[in-house]
Amino acid sequence: MPPREETISVGGIAVHTWVGGQGDPLLVLHGAGGNRGWRRWIERVAERFTVWAPTHPGFGRSGDADWMEGIDDLARFYLWFIDAARLRRPHVLGHSIGGWIAAEMAVMSPASMDKVVLVAPTGLKPETGEILDVFYYPPAQLVQMNVHDPKTIPEWDELFGRPPTPAELEIAVRNREMTARLTWKPYMHNPRLGPFLPRVTNPALIVWGREDRVVPAVCGEQYRRLLPNATLTVLDRCGHLPPIEQPDAFARLVVDFLSAPAATGSSSR
Amino acid sequence: MKLYYFSEMPHHEFPDAEGDKYPSLRLELPNRFFDREKAAANYQRYLDEYEFADQAGFEGLMINEHHSTPSCSNVGVNMSAAILARTTRRAKILLLGNILPIEENPVKMAEQIAMADLISGGRVLSGFVRGVGVETWWSNVNPIHNRERFEECHDLILKCWTEPGPFRWEGRHYHFRHVNPWCLPLQKPHPPIWIPGTASPETAIWAGQRGYTYVPFLVPFDIARELFDYYRQGAAEAGRAVTPDNLGFLICAVTADTKAKAIEAGRHFVWRMGPTLRGPVEYFSPVGMRSRAGAQFALKARPRALSSMSYDELCDGHFIIAGTPDEVIERFARVQRELGIGHLLLEAQESRMDHPTTMRSIELMGEKVIPAVATL
Repeated sequence: MPPREETISVGGIAVHTWVGGQGDPLLVLHGAGGNRGWRRWIERVAERFTVWAPTHPGFGRSGDADWMEGIDDLARFYLWFIDAARLRRPHVLGHSIGGWIAAEMAVMSPASMDKVVLVAPTGLKPETGEILDVFYYPPAQLVQMNVHDPKTIPEWDELFGRPPTPAELEIAVRNREMTARLTWKPYMHNPRLGPFLPRVTNPALIVWGREDRVVPAVCGEQYRRLLPNATLTVLDRCGHLPPIEQPDAFARLVVDFLSAPAATGSSSR
Repeated sequence: MKLYYFSEMPHHEFPDAEGDKYPSLRLELPNRFFDREKAAANYQRYLDEYEFADQAGFEGLMINEHHSTPSCSNVGVNMSAAILARTTRRAKILLLGNILPIEENPVKMAEQIAMADLISGGRVLSGFVRGVGVETWWSNVNPIHNRERFEECHDLILKCWTEPGPFRWEGRHYHFRHVNPWCLPLQKPHPPIWIPGTASPETAIWAGQRGYTYVPFLVPFDIARELFDYYRQGAAEAGRAVTPDNLGFLICAVTADTKAKAIEAGRHFVWRMGPTLRGPVEYFSPVGMRSRAGAQFALKARPRALSSMSYDELCDGHFIIAGTPDEVIERFARVQRELGIGHLLLEAQESRMDHPTTMRSIELMGEKVIPAVATL
């Protein structure tokens, strides 16, 4: 089933959203690079789940939210979005800052969601190493730092193979500005997130690229330790963009995890 | 036209080949290249030069503040203002200026400027700036909030100076429940406020609305005129007249007894145009610091980066003026005719320009140039 584009109003903010697929609802929260649309990995996952992929306020073609100050604001916003779009306890998958949003949502209201997939999420301060200062580097250089090997990426040409149009550049600047608004200080993490994570007994899958140069893979271990019902999968020859770098393997991981009967995690909700 | 003396108090005390190894001298050149002994001596030297400029007859002594860069070792404009307030006698002390968006405590800033004004006998000209991106990195204040914080910090400082305390301030970025500064400026209602500009039409309009003295820095004449038009637009909105006293301009300038000596000395300014401005755009203009309009104007304002210009080109464009006193007078008069300004700020020492050269330039400015341009 081809995806459709919807505009969903939440708290007066128009949220541009891709919707498509069939099955239980899956809310997909994009990273700092913005909503890349109906990509290959989403197509695979949408064969089994109804994917809701909104564009965050302040990003892309969604409305402004200059009053927001942090990722926790977006987390509260998306808990509201779940109600507004009547998703009824969806699975939640988030990548990078989208993963951070998902983690914040989970600690605020674990009963609002079913399973959680965190893909190279920011949000925790690495025990060793540092999260790359993405605002310190030119965007073109950043694309290269985000991935392990462009040659292995099936959608590379489509996504990054040509210079952006003026409209795309405008959106890229907007995405970067909103990311800065939300993540500047403390940079890309919330010191108060870790102590709350043990509340989240939902089944959780954490996915990381072993060659991630943006968020150190040690953060995956930290999330796994703090979340009581989590597993961590590390993909070889993969950087910070597993859904784009290894779309088929990534989609399989997600579908398998979301389809498996939940062994634990429902009792405390 | 009045002349002002300015030194960035540079710390060019490392081998240039070392500096070239890093993406920028700002933020990235490791501070193991900071020479403490030389810095200690340089501060004495630079402050002596300011004192001499006071005696030579400059209308004002301009001081500024930067961080994490060898181009400027003045890391506290209110500290140097306090020193000059005590060690000089007659010149205005032009702080250009305090970097408002990165300030965490505007009440303390209002008190410190007031203290300098009191010690100086009311000679402070209080400039407020948004800062370059490097100071945003240094302070780690979110660049998205730069303009909002600039305006709110300004509003709170003005309130400290003009409204009786105690009062409460609950803004978006600043929160103080008990504001009652026991240090107020000597000048009433407060020291004159100056605002520099490089590329932001919003800042020019904002300054015009308030009648502040507005000073473009090192831009081509046509861009300065365009910024002055924005300033006049803001002034007109507020029903204010604009006179030359509202308008200033900053250039680099040195004079000497012979043309050859002056031209040799002027070469030192190339360092501040080139190597000290080298670096990724993200260092100088982090995401969100400039509005879209400001960013577009900046591209237009700098069709060519200063760092890409030769010494001759910088002189032809009046970014640098170096010559005998007569030549300098003629060039300053040209600047005045082109822009209709009342204040000309001279960055008059740079890089490795030595003390005797700097002192002789100050002396000649005082003897010949200042009296000659005073009637313009």
